[in-house]
Amino acid sequence: MLKIINGGIETLVEDWPGRLGYLGKGMSASGSFDNVGLGLANVLVGNPSGEAGLEITGGFFEAEFTDDHVIAITGTDMQPTINGQPVPMYTSLKVSAGDKIKFLHIGTTGFRSYLAVAGGVDVPAYLGSKSTCIFGAYGGFDGRPLTPGDEVKFGAPSADLGSLEGRKLKPEAMPELVNQWVLRAIPGPNTCPDYATEEGMDLLFSRVSKIQHTSNRSAYRLEELPMSFFARTDGGVGGSHPSNIIDHAYAIRGALNICGNTPILLVADGPTLGGYMCALNVINADLWKVGQGAPGRDFMKFQLCTQEEAVQARKDQKKWLSEDSLA
Amino acid sequence: MSKDKYDVILDTMPETESRLEILFRQAGDGFIQVEYGREQRAMLQDSFRMLAVNDIILGKGLQGLIETVPGIRTNMLHFDPSVLAADKLIGAVKEAEDSMPTVDDVVLPSRLIHLPLAFEDSETKKAVAKYLKEVRPDAPNCADGYNLEYMAMCNGVTVDECKKMLLGTDWFNSGGGFWPGGAFLWPTDPRCAVVVPKYNPPRTWTPEGAAGIGGPCVFTYTTPTGGGYQLFGRTIPVFQFACKHPMFKDGPFLYRNADRVRFHEVSEKEVVEIYGHVHDKTDYVYEIEEGEIKAKEYIEWFNSDEVQQGAAQLKAKQAEGTKKAPRL
Repeated sequence: MLKIINGGIETLVEDWPGRLGYLGKGMSASGSFDNVGLGLANVLVGNPSGEAGLEITGGFFEAEFTDDHVIAITGTDMQPTINGQPVPMYTSLKVSAGDKIKFLHIGTTGFRSYLAVAGGVDVPAYLGSKSTCIFGAYGGFDGRPLTPGDEVKFGAPSADLGSLEGRKLKPEAMPELVNQWVLRAIPGPNTCPDYATEEGMDLLFSRVSKIQHTSNRSAYRLEELPMSFFARTDGGVGGSHPSNIIDHAYAIRGALNICGNTPILLVADGPTLGGYMCALNVINADLWKVGQGAPGRDFMKFQLCTQEEAVQARKDQKKWLSEDSLA
Repeated sequence: MSKDKYDVILDTMPETESRLEILFRQAGDGFIQVEYGREQRAMLQDSFRMLAVNDIILGKGLQGLIETVPGIRTNMLHFDPSVLAADKLIGAVKEAEDSMPTVDDVVLPSRLIHLPLAFEDSETKKAVAKYLKEVRPDAPNCADGYNLEYMAMCNGVTVDECKKMLLGTDWFNSGGGFWPGGAFLWPTDPRCAVVVPKYNPPRTWTPEGAAGIGGPCVFTYTTPTGGGYQLFGRTIPVFQFACKHPMFKDGPFLYRNADRVRFHEVSEKEVVEIYGHVHDKTDYVYEIEEGEIKAKEYIEWFNSDEVQQGAAQLKAKQAEGTKKAPRL
């Protein structure tokens, strides 16, 4: 068990691929924002790569283990320590009853750390997933971020702790965290010639945009687009702005909504249906990068990609998040 | 990259006598949007057909198809492309479409859910007051502390006439989404099709059960949340996280696709009491009639002179109203 001393800025229980099958009921998938971080942490401790772990956003999380466990920390380096001693990232290690783990804050790259424990987090699955939807306040640990005094339980490890300890990644399996994220994306469903101009789409696929500080787990906002982006003067029955259309389902995670002139990437906890056009979708295999993009600091650029490349990238990622990545 | 690098239409099906052209649009590597027609329109017959075809698609039990999310004129197919190839999925949809040559035979199971509604209740009024205080003090849609005056003005009718229209039609659920338990409800009777703009900017809070309208579409708020629809009253719970009440024993959602909702006016006291009987005592009995929609009958009725004349009269009033109502 883990007794929470400080929940930090925002620490959530998340699994992967999250709560699938409820978009038509208004429930987004949620799930780990960086599924590569969570997936690798799970592999390191011998869990299936989609098992629930703790997603630590921003830092300052602090807790005490009440039993012996094997853990792994991945994602951005928040200078984690146990009993004040620095511990390595991307390596499975044993902790003992009474050990106190502490995270500082994010460094120059990345935004989220993942803490996986052999056996996974033991919270009840709600509608098929252990993930927290923070905006809907359901799933995970009572539908909310962890706060001081919370006691998080863990499941049974897949093997004895001794055999799970000391696992490391191959150097080539380490995810690269940067400040300018290149996201492969497929145009659609609303593009040129009917919704956006070709010049507008060229701009969308060539410019580098800062992630706005108002971004969160449901929406990552980017810099405004000029009116020349739109191929229409208004949205007809859908509304007065050319970004408006008759309400349709959003292909989340990863759809880029154009809300008025603001492009908004709909992510983990985003709305599932609404009346704005969608110009592109970030491919499934690159969603993890969005979760490591720090609002107000990092930049994003979209790179045109085909369905075939995207499907191949999914397969490559599955292999990446497996024991094949262990040294 | 070629000149058509932003082409997103993967495939099409031609228009037939009973159906618009169908466009299959790419929406990332795990989604395809099926769109009915190229024109933005909100016509229930598109939805009737799509929901019927949707059932056929789901009935195929395609491995790798995760879910479908119907809107009023589009269906979003969510799939795992490493299991199910996009062209196979499109092929299955085409097959389902071809198996239904006419919309005339479409009969949808459609329950009629009767929901008590209190106009201008104090809880929803709080949301309007909070908006005026914290978001937009000069909001013209909130004059006199509520949105009904503005709604009436936009439609060129009196507040009383506006209420009668809201109560006078069944509201058809084309499919759920947006927020947990949310349903998108469209008027079945075009003579009652109130149309209003959405809040600008949106609210930060709306009480559970608030009933609002944006464009031509009604939404009943399932939990306290922000929102942009014009508010006209409060109804009873349509969603319950805890799944305590027998109505929610199989899941937290009340609405199903193709359900119809009919509001009837009650006092605020009555609505508030029902909350206790749903959430705490769990003994409230929802008034729900089993039923169906026969597409052919509906379309004939919709196209009848009487209905079309009434719809045209309302449109004329709305054109006048839109000129007078302040823009948001």
